[in-house]
Amino acid sequence: MARRWRTLPLLLVTALAPSFSLAGLAFENTAIVRTIELGGSLVHVSTTYAVKALEPGQTTYQIALSKVERAKTSWLEAKVKGRTTPLELSEDESSTEHLLSVSLPKALAVNGTLNLVLETVQTHATHPFPEQAAQKEPQLLKYKTDLFTISPYTTLVQRTKIKSLAPNVISYTTPHDVDSFVRDGSVTRSGGTITYGPYHDIQTDTDFVAKYQQPVSVHYSFDHPVLEVKTLRRIAEISHWGSNLNIEDKIHLHNAGPTLKGHFSRLEYQSQNYHRKQASHILSDFALHLPPGVTNAYFYDQNGNVSTSHLRTAPSVAKGSKAMQYSVLELRPRYPVLGGWNYSYTIGFDTPLQDSVGYDAKNGIYMVGVPVMTNIPGTVVNDAEVKIILPEGAINVKFVSPFPELSSSMSTHISYLDTAGRPTVTFTYKDLTYKHTGMIYVSYQVPLSAHLKKVMSVGAAFFSLFAFAFIARRVDLNLHKK
Amino acid sequence: MDNYEAIQALHKSLPPFSPYVPASLLPSIALILLASTFALAFYFSTLPKDTFPLRETAVASLASVLGGFGVVALFCSVGVNV
Repeated sequence: MARRWRTLPLLLVTALAPSFSLAGLAFENTAIVRTIELGGSLVHVSTTYAVKALEPGQTTYQIALSKVERAKTSWLEAKVKGRTTPLELSEDESSTEHLLSVSLPKALAVNGTLNLVLETVQTHATHPFPEQAAQKEPQLLKYKTDLFTISPYTTLVQRTKIKSLAPNVISYTTPHDVDSFVRDGSVTRSGGTITYGPYHDIQTDTDFVAKYQQPVSVHYSFDHPVLEVKTLRRIAEISHWGSNLNIEDKIHLHNAGPTLKGHFSRLEYQSQNYHRKQASHILSDFALHLPPGVTNAYFYDQNGNVSTSHLRTAPSVAKGSKAMQYSVLELRPRYPVLGGWNYSYTIGFDTPLQDSVGYDAKNGIYMVGVPVMTNIPGTVVNDAEVKIILPEGAINVKFVSPFPELSSSMSTHISYLDTAGRPTVTFTYKDLTYKHTGMIYVSYQVPLSAHLKKVMSVGAAFFSLFAFAFIARRVDLNLHKK
Repeated sequence: MDNYEAIQALHKSLPPFSPYVPASLLPSIALILLASTFALAFYFSTLPKDTFPLRETAVASLASVLGGFGVVALFCSVGVNV
């Protein structure tokens, strides 16, 4: 079972520069096809490398990404085409680019071929152009990328396909100076798909990049709101007495589409709703998929409870088994969120603890799985903090995150009926997408004495009242002697 | 650091958490225990004042323990899961 990619060892290996030219001899790319699916806040890039080994016994293939592209990429996965298990990746940074070393499933003999697929999700890669749009105007976005896919190895043929969901593409760049690589046209368009290439016999070394590499941009229309969650604060509280896991999210939602030009016309908005032709960049409602067995869901903002929501629960499933149905929470913010507008709200829900926590009776260890986030479709979370509050008196706390976190720490949280406080594990992340909805696992132990701490503290409070009564009965407060 | 997939498989295979007291019984338990605490507190108030307050201490301790459990059960049954 291959471990997913680790980005923590980002070594500045300048020594990689000379070995980069040596690495170029081990493989040859018979074809590279890069497919870019344009979205709003998320862009999917899927690059297929048809690889041929030129030297025997090769176990590592290197994929190069430019620094700009790597900075935009928030999720990476490499696998063999047609298979589902991800391959092990390790990352190195040289002075000019990022190199991902993919461990091949088995060593390739000379002239052995393999199709590798690198799937990435880029965030903050598009920007609205024009930056302002009136309520009725369409939403147009621009995406920029490099024309050629770089690779340490020679490429016999490569092409880049940029696909827009909506068929109307406003404009796209025509590349220049590429006649030496082109046999037919350098760029073609068919509906919403723009194909750059095929380009033949490319060797993307530093001279090539300096001379021929150029940015291409596509100006397209996007029919869904471009949403960003500026901050997400998730608190998961575990209660052993109540047998309950409460998850609460405090979200600052921002519409990152073109900012509203002019004023918001409620009349215009209502008439658009009535004629079912709502402008594509206005967020009026969205649906969240919550775990099955959800109870006590709440949705409020600074003004108070927001009643425009609808929860459809699905019956609870046993821990670890795949949920056939999710609970659906449809939320409608208090006001439609137009371009440049923000909306902050809090949602929370309870789930039975037996769906998330397992107990190892032999060692007395509890293990809880908490999802990192609940995805809002089509959004990127800029900054996320996940806090898991364990029961009071939890010891031997160990935790693991599904993907590398920015930081993790332990602290104490004081809540109802607490004396010493509850141990809390906090993780921070950035640039999360729908690919980052994995589970954080925390294991801890709670001895019986810690369980009874709450009971005893309340009992002690009662006993102090009785002790006061005991003394009070024996004190004579009469003013005159009888 | 342990393999994430191994931890995930372990979490899936462990038997689910079962509380000491089933959650559905908590409101009834809260009612019974708090009613007993109230009754015992009343009884405490009627006890004679002895030199060695054995009975008073016993009744007070019993009432406190029942009150402790009762309050925790009460909190959980109204939704404040402590």
